[in-house]
Amino acid sequence: MSSIWTLHFHASSFPHRTLSREVQFERYLGFACNCKNCSRRSTLRKFIVRAVSSDDDKRLPDEVIINNSVKDTAVKPQQNPVAKFQESVSSLPLLIFKTGKYYGTSFAVGLCVVATMLIIVVKGYAARKSRYNRPGSVADLVRRGQLRSDRRGISTPLKYEDPFNNPMVKVSKSNTTVEMCGKVYRLAPVTLTDEQQSVHQKRRSRAYQWKRPTMFLKEGESVPPDVDPETVRWIPANHPFATTSSDIDEGLAQNNVYQKHGVPFRIQAEHDALQRKLEALQNEQKLNKLVIDPAAAKDFERPLKSHLKSGDQVEQSISNPKLSPNPPKSDRAHNSCEQNNL
Amino acid sequence: MISLQPLTNPKPSLLYVHPFSPKPRTKFKPISIHSLLQYNRKPQLAGETPRVVVITSGKGGVGKTTTTANIGLSLARLGFSVVAIDADVGLRNLDLLLGLENRVNYTVVEVLNGDCRLDQALVRDKRWSNFELLCISKPRSKLPLGFGGKALIWLVEALKAREEGVPDFIIIDCPAGIDAGFITAITPANEAVLVTTPDITSLRDADRVTGLLECDGIRDIKMIVNRVRTDMIKGEDMMSVLDVQEMLGLPLLGVIPEDTEVIRSTNRGYPLVLNKPPALAGLAFEQAAWRLVEQDSMKAVMVEEEPKKRGFFSFFGG
Repeated sequence: MSSIWTLHFHASSFPHRTLSREVQFERYLGFACNCKNCSRRSTLRKFIVRAVSSDDDKRLPDEVIINNSVKDTAVKPQQNPVAKFQESVSSLPLLIFKTGKYYGTSFAVGLCVVATMLIIVVKGYAARKSRYNRPGSVADLVRRGQLRSDRRGISTPLKYEDPFNNPMVKVSKSNTTVEMCGKVYRLAPVTLTDEQQSVHQKRRSRAYQWKRPTMFLKEGESVPPDVDPETVRWIPANHPFATTSSDIDEGLAQNNVYQKHGVPFRIQAEHDALQRKLEALQNEQKLNKLVIDPAAAKDFERPLKSHLKSGDQVEQSISNPKLSPNPPKSDRAHNSCEQNNL
Repeated sequence: MISLQPLTNPKPSLLYVHPFSPKPRTKFKPISIHSLLQYNRKPQLAGETPRVVVITSGKGGVGKTTTTANIGLSLARLGFSVVAIDADVGLRNLDLLLGLENRVNYTVVEVLNGDCRLDQALVRDKRWSNFELLCISKPRSKLPLGFGGKALIWLVEALKAREEGVPDFIIIDCPAGIDAGFITAITPANEAVLVTTPDITSLRDADRVTGLLECDGIRDIKMIVNRVRTDMIKGEDMMSVLDVQEMLGLPLLGVIPEDTEVIRSTNRGYPLVLNKPPALAGLAFEQAAWRLVEQDSMKAVMVEEEPKKRGFFSFFGG
């Protein structure tokens, strides 16, 4: 007897199925089929069942026997797909329906499991969607703090949740308990009265007599005559802040604090000092250039005269060594003349 | 009734939507239009601006800087302009909690020396543009003792006179102790928030600091009790908040329960009031900020945790 497989799938139950074939679920009359299974035919349509061979020699009284029929007219070319389909169906996990009293329980358990998985998937999807809109969008820049979210149209305005009236805080009707973040606390009224408060203030005013220190002196310094000694705070010599008591001019510091525009004072002062130094250096370089230039030395030279004494010329060359490193030509000429005369 | 205000049309608007009344057949009368924000309730600012608040404790490590960061950002979220000043001259921490440590280039010391202007030393938070941070000094620089108090007064005056307008709140994070740093920080303040924990050492220091503040003329002092553990209060291992109030005699601004999220937020540089969903301590800080704005105090405190009554459908969650 040939094996004929019949399976009936509802498209709504299995949306991921892409089977184009429509198969029917039928009871195979030739086999010993349990009457109870026959009555449950309609309820079993939704479940994936394993195709069981309908051979004669195998009798499975507790299993649903299914038939598979193909509606396509072309039988031959579809025999291979049919065979493939049969193999795929046969590889599906077996879901055995037990007759008897356990049927209702397994159905309920299966339903609960499916419902729970569906809820988890939906919640995860919603959470993921709310967390991450689109990869690489401007929202990422806002998230990283590169852009201000409160100045962009993409951010939603703050719906501030009232810390006293929101789902996280629930006060009971009798005002005896409050539920915050899932934990319930018992409330007790505050019992402090105004008289008690004033009593505490008087106690403290008697216990703690303190005058604000207005002068900070290092150890060893004398107290000025017009200063109340109780307002003096003594700084130990090894205190890390003791060395900076007089570094900052108060008036200047106050002006620095009140400055709203422009370059800060110290930066401006440093800039001015640097500018002056640069100008001074430039001026000094100009002066050096004037002294070193030999061409300008000619203005200071005297014209050559033979009757001048040699001593005078030597004195000139000695007194003006910078003018010319070599003795002037007039000296050489004069010496040569003297030598010639001799 | 929902009505829309026209932005460009100088003529009175004829757009009038009233779902529950029939359309009038006579000519329209110009109606003063205002929008109803039923879910965006904001606190009413009390007192004169700028409100200069110093957050102090006396004892170190009780949560002053955490309180400053969280309350400051809560106020900024409520729409108020806030300037937070880290007045700890030697040890600077507020920038770390806010995640702004890489953006602090200039401090008040540089402003006083003339190396920069005041607006250049203010670090604006990119998350909330109406929140600004100002540090007094870098760890290696020094501020002359006795000079810091005047400097802070000048700072407050300069902030009042700036072009962006007067800030609504100037919050000063006070250093621990009662020496020069404390004196510097409380000089310009008009009101104080005292942070304490429910242990006897912190309470003794807090009491002394309160006495010094009152001697200095600061009368508006409110208390925040931090790191409260309701399980230990129930087991009578920790003083309750009412006991703390009985010892100090100060009105309560807030009660902050112990929360591990505080350390995580410090690691991230992201104050926990910005968490979504809000943490327990974050909600408590937000409530404290609300009371600070309205100059209100707590009327009832959380004493101990009770087991939650679970309904039939509780296993589904919620």
